[in-house]
Amino acid sequence: MKEKEPLIRLTKRQNMAKSKIWLIRLGALVFAIILGGLVFLIAGANPLTAYGTILSGSLGKVTGIRQVVKTAVPLLGTALALAPCFAMRYWNIGAEGQITMGAMAATFFALNMAHSMPSPVLLIVMGIASIIFGAIWAGIPALFKARWGTNETLFTLMMNYIAIGIVGWLQGGPWEGKPGSQIIPMFDNAAVLPKVLGVHIGWIIVLVLTAFMYVYMSKTKHGYEIKVLGESENTARYAGMNVTKVTIRTACLSGGIAGLVGFMVASGANQTLYSDVAGGVGFTAITVTWLAQLNPFAMVAISLMLAVLSKGASSIQTSLGVPASISDIITGIILLCMLGCEFFINYKMIFRGKEEHKHAEPATPAVKTAGEEAAK
Amino acid sequence: MKKFLAVLLVISMVFCFAACGGGSSNEGGSEEAGDTVYQVGMVCIGDDNAAYDRNFYMAADEAQKILADKGINIEWTKTYNHPEGDPVAVDCEELAGAGCIAVFCNSYGMEPAMLTVAGDYPDTVFVGMTNEGSWKDDLANTVNAFPSIYEGRYLAGVAAGMKLQEMVDKGEIKAEEAVIGYVGAYTFAEVISGYTSFFLGARSVCPSATMMVEFIGSWGDPTMEAAAAQDLIDKGAKLISQHSDSTTPATTAQSNGVPHVGYNISMSDVAPEASLISSRIDWTNYFVYVIETIVNGGTVDQDYCQHGLKDGDVALTELNEAIAAEGTQAKLDEVRAQIESGEIQVFDTSTFTVDGKEVTTAFALDTDGDFAPDSEEAVFDGAFHESYFQSAPYFALRIDGIKLLNEAY
Repeated sequence: MKEKEPLIRLTKRQNMAKSKIWLIRLGALVFAIILGGLVFLIAGANPLTAYGTILSGSLGKVTGIRQVVKTAVPLLGTALALAPCFAMRYWNIGAEGQITMGAMAATFFALNMAHSMPSPVLLIVMGIASIIFGAIWAGIPALFKARWGTNETLFTLMMNYIAIGIVGWLQGGPWEGKPGSQIIPMFDNAAVLPKVLGVHIGWIIVLVLTAFMYVYMSKTKHGYEIKVLGESENTARYAGMNVTKVTIRTACLSGGIAGLVGFMVASGANQTLYSDVAGGVGFTAITVTWLAQLNPFAMVAISLMLAVLSKGASSIQTSLGVPASISDIITGIILLCMLGCEFFINYKMIFRGKEEHKHAEPATPAVKTAGEEAAK
Repeated sequence: MKKFLAVLLVISMVFCFAACGGGSSNEGGSEEAGDTVYQVGMVCIGDDNAAYDRNFYMAADEAQKILADKGINIEWTKTYNHPEGDPVAVDCEELAGAGCIAVFCNSYGMEPAMLTVAGDYPDTVFVGMTNEGSWKDDLANTVNAFPSIYEGRYLAGVAAGMKLQEMVDKGEIKAEEAVIGYVGAYTFAEVISGYTSFFLGARSVCPSATMMVEFIGSWGDPTMEAAAAQDLIDKGAKLISQHSDSTTPATTAQSNGVPHVGYNISMSDVAPEASLISSRIDWTNYFVYVIETIVNGGTVDQDYCQHGLKDGDVALTELNEAIAAEGTQAKLDEVRAQIESGEIQVFDTSTFTVDGKEVTTAFALDTDGDFAPDSEEAVFDGAFHESYFQSAPYFALRIDGIKLLNEAY
């Protein structure tokens, strides 16, 4: 008795031409833009006008471009922070908390030491403190993972809430400015990052980090260890690598960079600290990292794209009266399509009754998500 | 590297969309050739679902009409639903960049973010509404405003006190059960000043009145506000009032059969059987003042101070006659006239005590930055002078008769 064939089967693709891969990605983007256009139509805006406003509002004038860069800085910085963790297949979902702790450490010095050291020294101290605190915040779950095999996804996620809670408490407690205001005073000018070309210097820092991360991941022994460990823990162990050490070291590096991002956001952009300092960047950056397939240079482009969409969102809100949440929906659609298309790049769908190509392997169940595959 | 180039390619393709889309988007802007239409921006903490923001929208529309009659045409651009924090800076830049002559930030917590960008746009006036940092800073284009809402609160308190006293007189409650439940945002001077003036108004007509305040740790959170109102009622409150942004305290009061006094807008439509009246700031005058001044080339006052009931900057909504105590309207008219003439001073130091003692001295302003008032004696001529030295409230004394149920916020 022949078993009934399923409607759709999936087979893993192999060796797809580069050009075809990019064609699929381009198609996904076009599809997302059309889908987004429908959302604009439903919201009562002309899609062409809306997309036009997004681009002219974000890139059509100097202030817009500055804002885009300012928004892209934490996204890029955090995506870079996450890259080594994800390459190691260590799911650090805690960048949000690491950013927050970094910002908190920097704020401590901004509030208490502003008058006791010169500005450049103060800023360096703030930066170092933020790296240390971010690293500690990421190091705790890594230590538990390495020693006791705890689940780092949940652990890092929970650490976010603790960090945000701590800052929330500081905001209403010891660091509160006017009683009852729940607002931490603005930083002294000495504790504010200087501007270069109209945007705080953080944009230069993240570009340097981009180059650093590229070299670190692809040219150093550390980067090699991370990749081997990501492929297989046992291989790494047989090769004589110290898995515990590599895990903790990489997590701390990741947390340290995220902490530095927190410093740049608090000192450069906000000039104060509040519990929402990370503002979801820690989560959005996960998407950036995946979309870039861990390539630091691609992260630059993708974080800029997201920043354009985010700045465009406020443009269409002010000039077309379209709620900013509509733009969030469209950003979501674009990201989903871009990530989703990786599925079609990695797998091939075979419909019932269609002949398989002669070289196709027997259908394997697609248990892995497109996102996981994207890491390869 | 190839990937990078490809992503760039994708982005440049998106650019092309801009090129084709950009053309059509420009058509809207050039319609008005003759008359100048001034752009005015407002950054809002909520949207028109929040009583707080709706109060601003009503005033904005009204101001637009008044200005049009004076030959000044304006167009409002509002951005909505901002948590207080950095997105505010983005919108301030957006609005100023779009050529707004004034940008109004409608919530206290927006001021720090506003101040980070205001310096880059010296031709735009940035208004930190209900805040107090802008008038003190060294930027000429950042200003503050806060009408004397404590006067309206006191008057609304009188309506509440009349209702409580009527319940006592009718024997529905005992005199000592005349407890007001107050839903507060934070233990913040603006809130303390508000509930204290409300309480003093109520006690002026219902001498046995006392008050419980429960803070929610947010300027507006419908669920928390309702929960706090319910908790106050469960603890014995016989009337509910609020300093929070939504209408759920009113609806909660109604479902418990308890009268209510609102804030910002009339809540009689959502709770016709409970909500007596609301006090509100009427921002119309201020909007007209700022915009007219800028258009005429004048300088906007750094701090819009001492504008209250008399000038129409503070108002009461229509009294819900169906449920208010008898004679309330007449009493309100009388007290209103007395406040306007100065016969009644809201924080008359003979009407309240702190730790059993009359208050003889209290500072208004903080000058050394430690957030504890240290200058300008506020107590003189028999009263604490609220919103006298600066518009933002600074009365933060804990007077006897008011019990704070939680102080965490």
